[in-house]
Amino acid sequence: MKHSRMTRILLRSYPPAWRVRYGEELADLIAQSPLTPRVAADVVAAGLRQRAHAAQLALHGGHVMTIGPAWRHPTAFAVIGALLLLPTFLFVGASLLGYQLGVDAMRDLVESVTGAMERWRIVDLLLVAAPPVAFIAAIAPLLRFGVERRDGGLEGVVAVRGRVLNAVVGLVALLLAGMLVWHIVVESVLQTGA
Amino acid sequence: MGSRPEVTDPALLLLISLAAGPKHGHAMLLDVARFAGIRLGPGTLYGALSRLVEDGHVEPLPPDGRRRPYRLTRAGRRLLEARLGGLSRAVRTGLERVGA
Repeated sequence: MKHSRMTRILLRSYPPAWRVRYGEELADLIAQSPLTPRVAADVVAAGLRQRAHAAQLALHGGHVMTIGPAWRHPTAFAVIGALLLLPTFLFVGASLLGYQLGVDAMRDLVESVTGAMERWRIVDLLLVAAPPVAFIAAIAPLLRFGVERRDGGLEGVVAVRGRVLNAVVGLVALLLAGMLVWHIVVESVLQTGA
Repeated sequence: MGSRPEVTDPALLLLISLAAGPKHGHAMLLDVARFAGIRLGPGTLYGALSRLVEDGHVEPLPPDGRRRPYRLTRAGRRLLEARLGGLSRAVRTGLERVGA
């Protein structure tokens, strides 16, 4: 529905975030009856009150402060975690197939990647860093920390929830990180012993 | 002074209106006009409504066409009961004191 130019001007008295959430509904309500000076004054006064309220919330941190940027997008974060994990997952999988199960094609593939890792240390670093980063990306949406104003004081709130996709990606990341740490420790012990 | 109910707090009027069931903005406006004799301005109505949503006393429902209905939450119902209880005690005390 196209609202009148005057309605759009009146709505400018509200904070932008409020306008995005309620602007269309308020404009529809204004359109239900004649736009008299009294209605216009009511809308502008309410808009200015809302701006004052928004400024007060910004200054004092609001009623509730939530620290949980990933809480709203758990699936997206799980997918990001899985994508970050994929190269390490393939590399470790190929290593297991090549060296533990004796699949020659996989051993050749791993050796070509190992060769690249020796030339460009960044590849090595990225493969090792991916599991912990993927773990954080997958698990972060399952946790939320909040600070609430209650009875004149501040109260901390921790929320935990379960989501299968995030938990699976997190567990695989943890498993891969554990295997890499184990591999690095064993290698360093062997080198020290040699 | 007439016999019109003197409850003028928009938030309380909206809570009373929504206690009868979910409504969109225009339906709340008409309902409040009917039971309280007060014609809330659209800005006043949406100011109070957004504050009630922010405080968790009212929640939006999926849009019904172009209109979005709202309903009372459990916390909103408790708040309404508490406020009406307070008003009721004040009215009772007042009536006792004037000997009505």
